[in-house]
Amino acid sequence: MSDFEMIEAEQICIIVNFGLGSKLLQIVKNYDVSAETVLLGKGTVNNRILDFLGLSDIRKEIVLMVANKNAADKILEKLNEEIDFEKPGHGIAFTTSVRLLVGTRGNQSDNLIERRGVDDNMYDAITVIVDMGKAEYVIDAATNAGSKGGTIIKGRGSGIHETSKLFSMDIEPEKEIVLILSEKDKTEAIVSSIRKELKIDEPGKGILYIQNVNKAYGLLK
Amino acid sequence: MNLLFFKLKEVLSSVLPIIVIVIILNFTIAPLDVSLIIRFLIGAALIILGLAIFLCGVDIGISPIGNAFGSTIIKTNKLWIIAIAIFTVGFFISIAEPSLRILASQVDFVTSSIISKESIVVIASIGVGTTLSLGFVRILYNIPINKVFTILYSIIFILALFTSREFLAISFDASGSTTGAMTIPFILALAHSVSAMKSDSKASEEDSFGLVGIASTGAIMTVMIMSIISKTDTSTVSLEYNDPIFTSIFSPFIQQIAPTTKEVILALLPIVIIFFVFQTLSFKLSRKVLRKIVMGLVFAFIGFVLFLVGVNGGFMEVGVAIGYSVATLENKVYLVFVGFFLGFATVLAEPSVYVLIYQIEDVTSGYIKRKAVLIPLAIAVGSAIALSMLRIVVPGIQLWHYLLPGYLMSLMMSYFVPKLFVGIAFDSGCVASGPMTITFISAFTRGAAEATEGANVLVDGFGMISIVTMAPLIALQILGFIFKIKSKNGGIEYSNE
Repeated sequence: MSDFEMIEAEQICIIVNFGLGSKLLQIVKNYDVSAETVLLGKGTVNNRILDFLGLSDIRKEIVLMVANKNAADKILEKLNEEIDFEKPGHGIAFTTSVRLLVGTRGNQSDNLIERRGVDDNMYDAITVIVDMGKAEYVIDAATNAGSKGGTIIKGRGSGIHETSKLFSMDIEPEKEIVLILSEKDKTEAIVSSIRKELKIDEPGKGILYIQNVNKAYGLLK
Repeated sequence: MNLLFFKLKEVLSSVLPIIVIVIILNFTIAPLDVSLIIRFLIGAALIILGLAIFLCGVDIGISPIGNAFGSTIIKTNKLWIIAIAIFTVGFFISIAEPSLRILASQVDFVTSSIISKESIVVIASIGVGTTLSLGFVRILYNIPINKVFTILYSIIFILALFTSREFLAISFDASGSTTGAMTIPFILALAHSVSAMKSDSKASEEDSFGLVGIASTGAIMTVMIMSIISKTDTSTVSLEYNDPIFTSIFSPFIQQIAPTTKEVILALLPIVIIFFVFQTLSFKLSRKVLRKIVMGLVFAFIGFVLFLVGVNGGFMEVGVAIGYSVATLENKVYLVFVGFFLGFATVLAEPSVYVLIYQIEDVTSGYIKRKAVLIPLAIAVGSAIALSMLRIVVPGIQLWHYLLPGYLMSLMMSYFVPKLFVGIAFDSGCVASGPMTITFISAFTRGAAEATEGANVLVDGFGMISIVTMAPLIALQILGFIFKIKSKNGGIEYSNE
């Protein structure tokens, strides 16, 4: 059997208000899940008054983990119970497919269990990586095209052309990663708006990719 | 839940301890006037509101300016431009710092104007500018932080041998005073902006801290040098505080508004000027970002005015009153204990503490938890105040009896503790001695010294800040040590399993 057989695993991505990340980790600890990682980011609130005051940003924690499909469903159900994603402002959770999973203690034997329910498959996850400071424009462009908002994560690093040395330190430019969830029928509009505003197609302006979302919680209609 | 609401919740829980302690004291050993208690509560409300607004302002105004400034200046790739620019910035933000000017006018007074107020402000600011640019260059050249501190403090201790006892206290106090609530967020953001670019992610984490600590040593050195050169001894005039006695509840707050507003405008001015100069020269931020930063500055201004009015109008007299009535009690042990609890609770309400913790969480992605830093910091400041009270009660103890072993120990520890914690520890020392501690705890100390026979309000009053600045160095490096041991045993996250 090759290592590259298709496995039925999913990456779960949960975005909650700052401070809830560790609580989430405690909840999922009893499940068969691996690679739990917490990142810090900031999210936006769609509110004209707050936007005017410059207070539209809020600190978020992004929790990433990988589990086989069956466990992923159970975890999401459990989390939904605890956190109640359907209430506005309680956060969102979604899953994307994973093709290969290496280096976990996960037992793949039980991934034959048949799955309950159908995947929603109504959403896309759009990821945009741009230079530091450009994330706001990405969010703006997306919002103009009908997106509900997005989450910004700070990062560093880049293509081979960009590392340089200042004095005795190696420099890698700071980047921002923007995560946007969109309904399938709006994805095209959002993506083309971002492409136009940020000129992503030109070299060095950033990259953008889209993933299928299998299941999503907490997205307001 | 928006940012302001989030901050309000955070601040509420951090100001509550001090309110609870004062009320408990009121009903037990230090009964206060009813009007004083009402003013204290109004002050507390102003502090909560002001602190929340101020912290929002720091988030969207001051920190982004520091970040933009740091990353712009470094791209010039010319050492002399960077050194001069950072020196200039350090000089002006420190010259505008309200607490430095308060300290300077006290020095002016006790030396009978031999050392004038202006000269001490200018000279201490030159010191801060120099060490700030030194600290910045350290980040660029990856010079280990513990070595920098060892060198700087060795110089300080050699200078201290030639400095008179009173000036020793004044110069160490200057280190806590030059880095105030406006300066610290800016310097922290500056350090973060450069370190964040480093491709070595461990170095990038470590070098985000320590710059505030390095900058503050400049003030200690220059004030010492000044006292040695001018060969002044403090004259024997006793310092008379004639605080106005207020009978009405609101007038002390209203009277505070005008001077406080002036003070805060002055403190913000250098940052605003830096911003607009660089915005026209090289930032060229879009209108949206610009508007956000301007809003942030407005928030920082309003919030800080509210905060200071609350502290000065509501907390100061309560501090004196508690200090006085606890010190008159037969059993002096009370004073030490009350000092501990007040110190413990006061530091939690210190504005810069939250800015530092925010940066720690940000840089370590939440690996170092808020509580892990807050608790040792509060214990450290509590112990520092308890030690200061001990110094008032037992006349034989001198300031250097605390400072020398304390600094020796923290320098020694800096060679065994993860570098990240060395930086955090030295920064948190300066952070702990902010406006809240300087006004409220100073008032408490003053009250206690007035009520104690044989205690000199002046000599015992100065020096308290320097102990507050020193104590966190030890406490947070111990924390670093614990982290080091625990991570060796396999992970912090699940250590409680």
